Amino acid sequence: MDFLVILSTMISALFINNFVVSQFLGICPFLGVSKDTKSAFGMGVAVTFVMTLTCLITYPIYTYILVPLGLEFLEIIVFIFIIAAIVQMIEMALKKFSPTLYNAMGIYLPLITTNCAVLGVAELVIDHEQMAGLIGLANASQMNMGYAVLYGLFAGLGFTLAIVIMSGLREKVARLPINKHLKGFPIAMIAACFIAMAFFVFALI
Amino acid sequence: MENLFLQPVDLTKLLYVLLLVAVITVVFALLIVLVSKVCAVKVDEKEEAVKENLAGANCGGCGYAGCADFAKALAEGKAELSACGPTPNENKAKIAEILGVEFVAGEEKFAVVACSGGINAKNKYDYVGNEGCSAQIAFIGGQKFCEDGCLGGGSCMTACPYNAIHVKDGVAYTDRSMCEACGVCVKKCPKGLVHLIPKSAHVYIACSSHCKGKTVMDMCKKGCIGCGLCAKNCPHGAITMVDNVAVIDYSKCNGCLTCVAKCPRKCIKEI
Repeated sequence: MDFLVILSTMISALFINNFVVSQFLGICPFLGVSKDTKSAFGMGVAVTFVMTLTCLITYPIYTYILVPLGLEFLEIIVFIFIIAAIVQMIEMALKKFSPTLYNAMGIYLPLITTNCAVLGVAELVIDHEQMAGLIGLANASQMNMGYAVLYGLFAGLGFTLAIVIMSGLREKVARLPINKHLKGFPIAMIAACFIAMAFFVFALI
Repeated sequence: MENLFLQPVDLTKLLYVLLLVAVITVVFALLIVLVSKVCAVKVDEKEEAVKENLAGANCGGCGYAGCADFAKALAEGKAELSACGPTPNENKAKIAEILGVEFVAGEEKFAVVACSGGINAKNKYDYVGNEGCSAQIAFIGGQKFCEDGCLGGGSCMTACPYNAIHVKDGVAYTDRSMCEACGVCVKKCPKGLVHLIPKSAHVYIACSSHCKGKTVMDMCKKGCIGCGLCAKNCPHGAITMVDNVAVIDYSKCNGCLTCVAKCPRKCIKEI
């Protein structure tokens, strides 16, 4: 693994191709759980955790089972199944071994099961051509599992970054005297729009 | 484009698909069963049963993080059942049975705001700034001259999980039909103006000012001046004057509404 590629993977996943504000995946938790910073951060950590594990498991299953058998078209059903099962198992394991962590992110875990950002990252990392373009690899065949997991981790961190910024903004906005008709959700949508525009600058440079 | 319908059926591929899906299903099902066996956490049955009988509103009025947390505290004997407002009495009786404690049926209550000032009360200054009473009160005790007056900042309104409080003409009002007596607003009001009174009550005193009559006259058009007419005229002796403001004993009041008619300031209100 090349150091420069690792760096560009980080920057790409965190800022340029941020899952929420550039790829528009995972919008529901982004708007739904961003009312206060604490729960937003909990959600972000849970998503990061699940995304990394998803990449770690779905990538080898796709590459070493589905591709040799010629069953690439089964990817979505297999991925959904695997993600749901992983999340279920993680939840049970957390409940047993770390009640503190379970209390902190336990309620967000079941919400992530059907999150499009998680399925999105699993679908994205198996597409070697597109991934090579995204993270700056010269050749699509250089793509491997290390990059996939790294991309999953930083995509999750990018999600955390976006949702924490959003919740901070919403906390500030909630204290301002705002026109009655814009109060609550409408102003949150406008705030989300400004965050997306701010992140668009990364795509231009 | 290939014609999808006229292609010959590839039986081997179909077999692979069936096998693969079946294998993955079985493997993960076994894994989940295994994990759930290994990671089984003992769930308190008592706690579950209590939780099922609670209102499930998660309003936080009891001071716990939600109904599940409250059920846990109840099962451990740390909390009192009466701390919960929204749960109806018949469910409370069931919970008491599960917990093995004696159940005393508390009266069903609802919240009232003991102030009718708002635009009737004079302002020290015009407040412009962050919404919420706590922000306003930091500014020399809020904009009203009256020390015990509603600020109209709406802290109780935003805190109410049932949308039962509204601010109208600068003073908060409760909606009796929506109120579940969770008590969140009682804790939230920085002036302590919100009280829980029995649902069977007929009247309430809409003022909390302890100032002398003359001072109240200067500050507010609606405040209680402590004249004591209501206390003198009440046929049941249900009203007493405490520290310049009328107090109703609801166990004696039968709803004759004499006090409402007699009050010169119209601050005893019919519900």
